[in-house]
Parts: sequence; C-alpha cells; structure tokens
Amino acid sequence: MIEIQDLSFTYKNEQKPALQEIRLSVPDSGFLGVIGPAGAGKTTLARAVSGMIPHHYTGDYYGSVKVNGLDTVETSLEEISRLVGMVFQDVDSQIVSPVVEDELLYGLENFGIPREEIPARMEEALRKVGIADLRDRMIGSLSGGQRQKVAIASILALKPRILVLDEPTGELDPRSSRQVFALLKELNEEQGITVIIIEQKIMLLCEFARQLAVLNGGRIVRQGETRDVLAHAEELEKLGVNCPRVTTLSRVLSAKTGEEQPVCTSLAEAEEMIRRLIQ
Amino acid sequence: MTNLFQYVPGNSVIHRMNPVTKIFLTIVICVSAFISGNLFYLAGLLAVDLLIGVIAGVPGKTLTIFKGLLKIALFLFVLQILLVRKGTPVLWIITDQGLLTAGKVVLRLVVVCMPLALVLAVTRISDLTNSLVQVLHVPYPYAFTLSTAIRFVPQFLEEMSGIMEAQTARGVAFDKARGLKKFSMLLPLCAPLLISSVRRTDQTAAAAEIRGFRLRTRASGYRKYPFTFLDLAAAVCCGLLLAGAIVL
Repeated sequence: MIEIQDLSFTYKNEQKPALQEIRLSVPDSGFLGVIGPAGAGKTTLARAVSGMIPHHYTGDYYGSVKVNGLDTVETSLEEISRLVGMVFQDVDSQIVSPVVEDELLYGLENFGIPREEIPARMEEALRKVGIADLRDRMIGSLSGGQRQKVAIASILALKPRILVLDEPTGELDPRSSRQVFALLKELNEEQGITVIIIEQKIMLLCEFARQLAVLNGGRIVRQGETRDVLAHAEELEKLGVNCPRVTTLSRVLSAKTGEEQPVCTSLAEAEEMIRRLIQ
Repeated sequence: MTNLFQYVPGNSVIHRMNPVTKIFLTIVICVSAFISGNLFYLAGLLAVDLLIGVIAGVPGKTLTIFKGLLKIALFLFVLQILLVRKGTPVLWIITDQGLLTAGKVVLRLVVVCMPLALVLAVTRISDLTNSLVQVLHVPYPYAFTLSTAIRFVPQFLEEMSGIMEAQTARGVAFDKARGLKKFSMLLPLCAPLLISSVRRTDQTAAAAEIRGFRLRTRASGYRKYPFTFLDLAAAVCCGLLLAGAIVL
C-alpha cells in the first residue's frame, strides 16, 4: 500500500515546485496509471515513491510518502529499494554494466540473494521479458527497445513488491509495448505486485490500469477508477492528454443518440456498444 | 575508437585467466620495459605483446591498437632525435645517442600501452571490478568508479557524435574543416556534452543506489575468481620477463 499525504517537493536550486499537495493512495495489488503533459511532475512522483526523493534528490520536502507503512524519509533508501523496483525513463542512465547478464546480476548480488537462487531468477526475468537469447550480449550493441527490456528484466529479477515504471515502453514497438503491459498485468494479478506506471500510450494505459491519476503543473487534477477519469474526456483534452479513440467514440455516440453511453476503455467494449446500438 | 575499450567475448587462454593475473602481467610488462634499456629486449617485449593479442584471438584489434600507437610513436621519435644533442653526429643534427634514446622511448611507449588496452579487450569490466574487490580487497566504490569511467568512454563518444549530428543538421560543416579549425568548431560542443554527462552520471548513481550499491560487500560477487594452473603458468612467464629485464 502506498499512501501519499499532501506531498510538495521543490528540487534544490529550483524556484518552481515540481509537486504540489499530492494526495494519492494506491492499494495493495493496485494498478495505477499516471498521465499528464511534459513537465507535469510525473517522474518526480515516481522518484518520491521509490525513495530517490528525498534520499538522492534533495530539496524542499513537505508532506509524507508511506510505502507499506514505512515513511520514505525515515527509512533508508536500501530498505525502500527492497520493496520498490523502479525502471527509469532514460534507460541508458539506468544501466550500470556492459553485458546483459551482469546487469541482472548487479542488483541480485548487492541485495545478497542466495547464490543457488540467482540463476533461476535471472532466467525467469529474461524469459518473461522475452530476451533470453540476449543474455551474453554487450548492451552497447543492443537496440533501444532491447535495452529497455534489459532494464525491465534487471528490476524484475529483484522481485519487488511494488513496481514503478517511468515510460517503460518509450522505445518499444506497439507489439512489444503490449507484451510489457500484459506482463505487468500478469505480475499484478498472479503475484499481487503493485504497479505504478507512467505512460504516454493512453490506449494501453486505459486498457490495463485500474486506476488513473492525471497530473498537470505538479498537481493531481483528477484521479480515480480509469473509467471515471475517462468520463471527463473534455477536461483531459484541454490539458493536452488525448483520450483513447474508443472513449471519444462513446462520447460522440452519447451526443448523437441523445442517451448516455458507457465509457469504453477497450476495443472489445466499443464493439459491444456498437453492436447493441445497431440492434 | 568507439570500440577500442570494448570487451571481445571469447574463450581463449587469456580470456580464462584470472583478471588479477592479467593486471599483474600488464604491470610486469610495464615495469620490465622501464628496467631494461636493451633495445633488443624491448623489441622482444613488443613481440610478447603482439603474441598475447594473437593468443587472445583478437589479432585485428591488436593491430588497430598498434597502428594507433605507432602514429604517436613516430611523432615522439622525430621529436627525440631532434632534441637529443649528446653523442656523435650521424646525419645532419641527428646523433647516434639521439637515435638510441628515441628508439627506447618509442618502444617503451608502445610496449607499455598495448597490454593496458588488451586487458580491457579480453576481460569483462565486471570481472575486473569484482576480482579487484574480492582478491585485492580494493574498496568497492573505487572499483565501481573505475569500471564506470571505462564504460562511459564509448557512451560519451556516442553522445558527442549525436550532438555533432544535430549541429550538422543545422548547417555546421564539420566535414569540410580539418585540424585546428575542426578543433575550434568542436570546442563549443563541450558545454552540452558536459551538461548531459553530469546529468547522466547523477542518474546512474541513483540507479546504482536503488539497486543496493551501498549494501555491496566483498562477498557479494556471484562469480568467484580462483587461481588455476593457467595463472601459475602466467606467473612463471612474468618471472622470466622480469629476470630478462634485470639481466639484459
């Protein structure tokens, strides 16, 4: 469970606060999608949850962030890292080793995972992300998408209870992006891992995330169940957040038919709505 | 240049050697080159360097490094023969002493630099770091700094070429300038490179921290680095090289 209470944060040497009065709660096994225009404070929010704020990035910090009951200010970064795994937006800066296998080993070695457990964990993480064949490759020779998968695998190998991902599909093609989301869903549903994902691919986000939080100018302007947030499509579009086409479709049909149509979040739902209307 | 420091996977004798042995061998070659002033011995050491490259299965890379060093060596050679004034003149202002000193300097330069570059080509950086920590008890933060510095070289070059491409797209003709002019064109690019590098370094530090950087101890490494018969053989070779340097 993640509980953020009135969090405001201004980076050191910056005038403008990056986050203002954030109130957010993500239940255990929750799947939260975070969206908002550039500079809205999404990455800062991810850093706050993963403990990098205030332990690595310092500044003016007000309010509190509690991860499974532990206050991130009072708990050491290492302690938080055992619970929270974070995938960075800039994958290249996250990678610390030149070879794929070493990148996965890095965290496992540091956290003192028993030797006999390490090979299985590495294999599982690589297989889940679909890069088992890249194990011995030099990371410098991989494509952007492959590197992104390596970064995700290196975090999955640590088996965190909470996963924070900052635009993890930025370099991926549509098919791989969907695979990553499907994997997150599987981890979320089968192992109860809490997922917080920042993403610009709104269609995927709305299909997989159960909760949405919309950020703008460092504030949460709307949060709640995905469907409820999408009901305010016009407001979102004013902020520069495009809604999925299926949501737009249900809005247009509501206006045209004169009766309120359900907010669609996936293609299947839209299909069902249209069939019903045709009949 | 981009891949000069890059590891070339392989399973040669040199690859399988303990990383610490490889460092030791490198140091022995360097020390031997400075102990001995015998031109033939130095030429022999150069042959040893080249042989190591061939045994390691990276003859192409060895040759590239050799050629690169040769350019610097040639410059130094000319400088030395023009500057050394002792000895009897052989040709114009060139003396026999000058030729001898220049030969030594050049050979030493090549002999010393080659194994340093070769070690990186045949050893995974992580193995180098881990063995330094496990076997030689080097504190982990120092070993990490070393490995990160080596790893960042190609990344910086990549970034630099990215910045250059961006400038080229906006009309800067890097391809038409040469020498000093090109250098003066590149100089202003150092600012964006520095800014992006510092930012990236900071993020990498954060990435290491959230994956337990501070928890790492000497016992943390998954791979172990025991000394084998191979290392013993290498140690014997080292002994022979040193003995040769002292005798000759």
